[in-house]
Amino acid sequence: MKGVRSLAPFAVFAAVAFALELSLPRLVADSSVRQLLMLGGVNVLIALSLNVINGMAGQFSIGHAGFVGIGAYASAVVVANLQLKFPAELTFARSLWLVPAGALTGALVSAVFGLLVGLPSLRLRGDYLAIVTLGFAEIFRLLISTAAASETGGPGALLAKLGGQNGYAGPNELGVPQPAGPFWIFFAVMCVTLLALRLKFSGWGRALRALREDEIAAAAVGVDPTRYKVTSFVLSALGAGLAGGLLSIMRDGSPITQPDNFSFQMSFDAITMVILGGSGSVSGSILGAIFVTFTIKLIELLQATDAAQALKASHEWLDLNALRMVVYAAVLIAVMILRPEGVLGERELFQRRRGER
Amino acid sequence: MTARTAHPTRPPPACEVGATLLELRDVKVGYGGITALKGVSLEVRRGEIVALVGANGAGKTTLLRTVLRLPGTQVSGSLRFDGKDLLALATEDVTALGIALVPEGRGVFPNLTVRENLDLGAWGHRDRRAMEESTHDVVTLFPRLGERMKQDAGTLSGGEQQMLAIGRALMARPAMLLLDEPSLGIAPKLVTSIFAAIRAIAAGGVTVLVVEQNTKVALSSSGRAYVVRTGELAREGASAELLADPQIQAAYLGG
Repeated sequence: MKGVRSLAPFAVFAAVAFALELSLPRLVADSSVRQLLMLGGVNVLIALSLNVINGMAGQFSIGHAGFVGIGAYASAVVVANLQLKFPAELTFARSLWLVPAGALTGALVSAVFGLLVGLPSLRLRGDYLAIVTLGFAEIFRLLISTAAASETGGPGALLAKLGGQNGYAGPNELGVPQPAGPFWIFFAVMCVTLLALRLKFSGWGRALRALREDEIAAAAVGVDPTRYKVTSFVLSALGAGLAGGLLSIMRDGSPITQPDNFSFQMSFDAITMVILGGSGSVSGSILGAIFVTFTIKLIELLQATDAAQALKASHEWLDLNALRMVVYAAVLIAVMILRPEGVLGERELFQRRRGER
Repeated sequence: MTARTAHPTRPPPACEVGATLLELRDVKVGYGGITALKGVSLEVRRGEIVALVGANGAGKTTLLRTVLRLPGTQVSGSLRFDGKDLLALATEDVTALGIALVPEGRGVFPNLTVRENLDLGAWGHRDRRAMEESTHDVVTLFPRLGERMKQDAGTLSGGEQQMLAIGRALMARPAMLLLDEPSLGIAPKLVTSIFAAIRAIAAGGVTVLVVEQNTKVALSSSGRAYVVRTGELAREGASAELLADPQIQAAYLGG
């Protein structure tokens, strides 16, 4: 009975997501708006996964884009090759196996890298994780973007198949198929949200909070610090890989997976989402992700206005994308002054008082 | 995350009282290049309250951290608990053997509620029924904690936090309790009641090793004591004798 009840929410999520799949194209005619909504969903996944390690475990990872990127490439390769092997129209029924195959591969590959990166660096003090994750994300991006097509053998040639700087567009260069519609994005968002909440309020989440507050005292009650930190890091990478895995095969998204999409900018966006919403808060991460997504879009729209175009024409060096940094900086400074713990702090929206059973 | 199979319980009554529980032989401990303990040998027998007194920086805290195998130290010598070699173990395995530490400065988790702090103390076994029993025992010992179950630990007074830290350690149902400066920063009146609680815990069958700067309180509440001075044992003996010793009085009790 208990097993049935704990699965029930996921059935509801599937139903809601399916309703969105059917209704979204009718409700929102503009495909760029649909793309924005789905991108918002992916960003929520990115923020929720980063929140596990940065918020709940209190470690500081600044290379989240690397894990998103690994998931994106893994998923794109799997889906593109499957589609080539078994060509058919991309119906919803087809997406039922094609999307999980891609997204879950992305998540798993990313988790494996999470273990490889986390195991050595989380044994050391906090700062090392920041350095190692940053380095890892950049190495990943540069390895892919600098792999030359002229390589004839070895790992270089394999990497070059991922398209180098121009990006990966499938084995036949026709673009990565995009079977992941609203159903998949929003189904994933709802499931991951519920799992994140369950994680936070489980004994495991409590152990993490204890670890964050006082590592020695936590060790003294028998919580193994390294094990919990590494587990959180792997879970975080798993979620990031899932987000990337959906991103690269998202309907109305880009059919080319490019290395520069996973630059430090993305890691920084992810950190902004988590810190803005409130480190450790699941609903805070969601709010932060939505805010950041729409800020990026707003600046894009602003750039398209005549005034901005005229300004850019007269000052060629002007990079309006950098305006994002100005907005973030202003918002982050305001939050630091007004609410140093983030908009929600560690709390959740609609949360009962803690400690009640 | 495999569930722990070890289930630490109170010491088995079959075991004869007075057998050696914790034994240190020529233990040397260093941090980086600094030697904090220069060869300490001591033992604690089942059912005893043993005090470890000495000035600040003498190496008392280091000794407790070493027993618990907290990271950051280089240790040589022999360190045994109930016959088992502790040097081969990680901290969480040491706690699983039945050693619980009440860290210096209390070390409660301030943003967790009192109940959550206590629940974490039972992390090693996570047995729901044993947890409720232990919680009941802790609340009987410290009724004030019972009134503050839903409060964040950070909102408690210093004395209450110390009670919580001790209660949390007891939740693990340890065979041995290590206390690091339980009197630190606590009102004198509460110090007396905390030490009364420590004696009650020992009477319940838990072996106690308490580290204290407050020599007078520590010596009057313990059976035996060791005096540590700059990383070495300076004296040892029955606490009552040490308390009456003019040398000890001059050095540690202010005349």
